[in-house]
Amino acid sequence: MKGINTLINKKSLYNLLKKREFHVSFVLLLLSVFLFSNFYYVPEQEIFSNSTAEHIINSGVKETGSLNLVTAILYDYRAFDSLGESTVIFAAVSAIVLILSFKTLPVSSKGLSFIVKRTFGILTPFVFLYAVYVITHGHLSPGGGFQGGVVLGTISIIFSIVYGSAYDYENYSPKAKTILETGGALLFVFLGGLGFIIGGYFLSNFNPTRSGLGTLISAGSIPYINIGIGFKVGAGLAIIFYTMIQKTYVEE
Amino acid sequence: MLYNFVFVLLFMLGFYTILIKKNLIKMVIGLNIMEAAVFFWVIAVNYRGGVIPILKNGVEVVDVVNPVPQALILTGIVIGASTTAFLLTLIIEINKYANSINMDFLKGLRD
Repeated sequence: MKGINTLINKKSLYNLLKKREFHVSFVLLLLSVFLFSNFYYVPEQEIFSNSTAEHIINSGVKETGSLNLVTAILYDYRAFDSLGESTVIFAAVSAIVLILSFKTLPVSSKGLSFIVKRTFGILTPFVFLYAVYVITHGHLSPGGGFQGGVVLGTISIIFSIVYGSAYDYENYSPKAKTILETGGALLFVFLGGLGFIIGGYFLSNFNPTRSGLGTLISAGSIPYINIGIGFKVGAGLAIIFYTMIQKTYVEE
Repeated sequence: MLYNFVFVLLFMLGFYTILIKKNLIKMVIGLNIMEAAVFFWVIAVNYRGGVIPILKNGVEVVDVVNPVPQALILTGIVIGASTTAFLLTLIIEINKYANSINMDFLKGLRD
């Protein structure tokens, strides 16, 4: 009884009403009621006849040669959009490197114990193999350049954390990362120009039905764009991580 | 619809985190929760049953999920990751100059 009395006495209620959390919760509650009442009446999204989605589902494989329809959209129908997307990553990497100035400090973390090093020595080649699989099979199975590139970027992070950043600096230097990133972006633009020469417009998919569906080398330029994007995203993530850790830890 | 409710709940959780928390990194986490809520809603509202949009060679198409929103959300996720990395970089710089990432402390520095 005593606890309830202190809970509802006037002073604590007054303090509760004065608190910032209470005001914010009240406003957000009103806002959420408003949002919910609006979103409740959003109609169910069907796949209408003669829509873009229906066209892609029915004839996407025939037109692009890619069994994965999401990849077909990303690297064929909306390939220019993906080029802009990779430009955003490039801009982010450039801004981060510019802000945290690219200092080639070789040592910033010492690495973990012997057991962890041995374990990741066995594991890392398989991580690399998985990344290469996800990138090169982007048009056949789930995945693609962006997803596989992120897996590729984790290898550099494993090097930095497990083996120490000196190992990462010696075996996978910032210069090599920069070359890989710009090389991936240039490969994308080069394939776009090749599409301009062969197909007639920028980033057109050349010869998508030349070889059989479902094989590794099919779908025209999609696998090559995937490889370019994969290198670009992986190296970009590695650069972001390396640039961030080199300043947060100080060499002792 | 349940997904509308979950969307509003997640979105407001992220908004609340941004408005209440003093730690800059927690505010970035709140922004990411809001982003995830929007991605979740766009995917959920377009799901009407069916299999993944990866076809098999030689098999007739019957019932496939709409692949267009998935491609758009993939773009959104990549942009979100880029902006998060950039925000964290700015926080590193703020910490370097002010030795703190607390909003109250940083506001006091301005005066």
